[in-house]
Amino acid sequence: MSISRREWILATACWSEVLRGQSPTSGQFAYFDRATAGEIEAIAAQIIPDDDTPGAKQAGVIWFIDRALAGYDQDKRDLYRHGLAAAQAKRAELFPGSTSIAGLSAAQQIALLKAIENTEFFQQVRIHTVLGFLGHPKYGGNRDMVGWKFIGVEHKMQYQPPFGYYDAEAARGDHK
Amino acid sequence: MNSAQFPHTDPVDFIVIGCGAAGGVMAKELAVSGFRVVVLEQGPWHHEKDFGHDEVAVMFRSALTNDPKTQPNTFRKTSAEPAKRQQAVEYGRMVGGGSVHFTSNYWRFHPDDFRERSTLGPIAGADLRDWPITYDELEPYYTKAEWDLGISGLGGSNPFDGPRSKPYPLPPMPVKSSGVLFERAAKKLGWHPFPAPVAVISQPYRGRPACVHCGFCESFGCEMGAKSSTLAALIPTAVDTGRCEVRPDSYVRKIETDKNGRVTGAIYFDRNKREVFQRTKAVVVCSNGAETPRLLLMSKSNRFPQGLANSNGNVGKYLMFDNGAFATGVFEHPLNEYKSIVVTRVLHDFYRSDPKRGFYGGGGIDGRFDSYPAGFALDGLPKDMPQWGSEWKRAVAGSYTHMMGVLGHTSCLAVEQNNISLDDTVKDSWGMPALRVTFKNHPDDMKAMLFILERQKEILAAAGAKKFWVDPSTNVETTYSRHLMGSCRMGDDPRSSVVNRWNRAHDVPNLFLVDGSSLVTSGRQQPTETIQALAYRAADHIQQAAKRGEI
Repeated sequence: MSISRREWILATACWSEVLRGQSPTSGQFAYFDRATAGEIEAIAAQIIPDDDTPGAKQAGVIWFIDRALAGYDQDKRDLYRHGLAAAQAKRAELFPGSTSIAGLSAAQQIALLKAIENTEFFQQVRIHTVLGFLGHPKYGGNRDMVGWKFIGVEHKMQYQPPFGYYDAEAARGDHK
Repeated sequence: MNSAQFPHTDPVDFIVIGCGAAGGVMAKELAVSGFRVVVLEQGPWHHEKDFGHDEVAVMFRSALTNDPKTQPNTFRKTSAEPAKRQQAVEYGRMVGGGSVHFTSNYWRFHPDDFRERSTLGPIAGADLRDWPITYDELEPYYTKAEWDLGISGLGGSNPFDGPRSKPYPLPPMPVKSSGVLFERAAKKLGWHPFPAPVAVISQPYRGRPACVHCGFCESFGCEMGAKSSTLAALIPTAVDTGRCEVRPDSYVRKIETDKNGRVTGAIYFDRNKREVFQRTKAVVVCSNGAETPRLLLMSKSNRFPQGLANSNGNVGKYLMFDNGAFATGVFEHPLNEYKSIVVTRVLHDFYRSDPKRGFYGGGGIDGRFDSYPAGFALDGLPKDMPQWGSEWKRAVAGSYTHMMGVLGHTSCLAVEQNNISLDDTVKDSWGMPALRVTFKNHPDDMKAMLFILERQKEILAAAGAKKFWVDPSTNVETTYSRHLMGSCRMGDDPRSSVVNRWNRAHDVPNLFLVDGSSLVTSGRQQPTETIQALAYRAADHIQQAAKRGEI
């Protein structure tokens, strides 16, 4: 499914309802086991925290990543497997006695991610997290288009001028 | 539509290989002139309704472009180093090719571009040459392309342009905030900004509806058909003649020749990876500046042991890339640049090569915004600030609607060692040798890029940007390009060029190469209009020669 303008016009009813119906808001992961999903989601949630605005958790980023690894990005499974194992080793080194990334405090999670932020694994999780937050909702993330709302786009299929402050100003002849 | 269906065994008049900016022109012109044409396109045939706004698919999963997972290429800077798997070329892979997904900038080359060797003299470390044709010879075909496809712009507004025989058929697109700021700044600096000529229709044109400013131009297909791609503007006419059969998902692996050295047909993989041999009287290769030389090099035979049309060894050489640095600025008020087309103002004040600067080349500059949300969040902010976490998140939210870019489009010199060749070991998913790209910028490429970058920064400063910066990845040597030029260049001398002034292969009388590979110099990037003007000119010549029995 892709949203084309024709479909948009046909479906002037509520797109977000349609999209929500297609998102795997619950149920089975296609690739992850629950424990692994919890660890990856903890990393994603520090990349885009759910603070005063929605973040990776509310957007359902983990579902995007799960589908990516089950499908188009199957070739990145080893990177996730080995990268997460290395991250766990680093966690154990930094925080002896801890048992999971998800179980660390927020400050500990941030310290861990700073220690691994230049690894290929972290860079890939960052890419997937951002795609899951700001990509098309049909992939399971960006629930209710929270990512698009957050970044400030109106998400219409067409616009008319003026588009922004400066072209409006020029059209009015206000600028000296 | 009344599409022709030709049997494989019966020779058609022409096979056109590659249905992009040039191939679409060729298919339409030859079919309208009365010839039977089979178009073999390696990519799928999308229709307007297939084009959505899915950034993940288009920008991260190669939905409309060559996918490095199935069509890997390898890259090295010089032949002294091993080539490694790394995507170095990207092209539109579908009916309509790059004309479907390009940004839509539509610049003519300047008259000087065709005679730089004569006016500037030789450049050490490069092979700068004059074109065998002049701007005046190409001008009628620039005009034809603008009117046939539907180009919006304001003729005469760029004081550095060559003479034109007709205005643009459509008025410029509405100016965006980036264009307003760019124009104010450039005028303050004493320069000459002008409305961007673009292959997007600002008003209804020949049955196609006008642009509705959805904001998904660069890299995307237009679901309105308002982008003047060959898919939207020409292919329907070609097919409606009843003499043109477009075969999508048809990936050519070899052009066959007979004992007399004439082309007899093309062997291709159909969508089920079955081999098909289509016979023909002549072949026009329009596969782009990377795939055209690759196909010629793959088409070896006893008669052409170095590859087809390659007796002088020049096929693949003198590859030129898309150079230019990117500068970004943040402004006080919202620009909302995610709406409408990418570029609305351009300037050519520093286009011409000026020997007083001490290096060859120059560039055009445009004000633009070409980021989509995820790509912006990943790479759009300065690298000296956090790239994840709460602070980064707030910066992303606060700047997406308040930013614009200023992009330089700068010269690339033809260097013999920069080339397309066949990789020794890596193969694509069809078992064919991968493209191997060898490319290292000439020192003057870098000097021109950095010189123009200073002008870009001056524009952002004069425009009143609160903060501006240069992406560190854009002022280093070029290792990736969507503009693929010069690899089978045109010339009168068969010893130093691959095709003649009519795009006919010097070595093979019934073989024509018509695409970016023919370009002798790079202009200042934005090669699409010149590629298409060359295609209209070659088509004119080919159909006349064919009617005289000279092919």
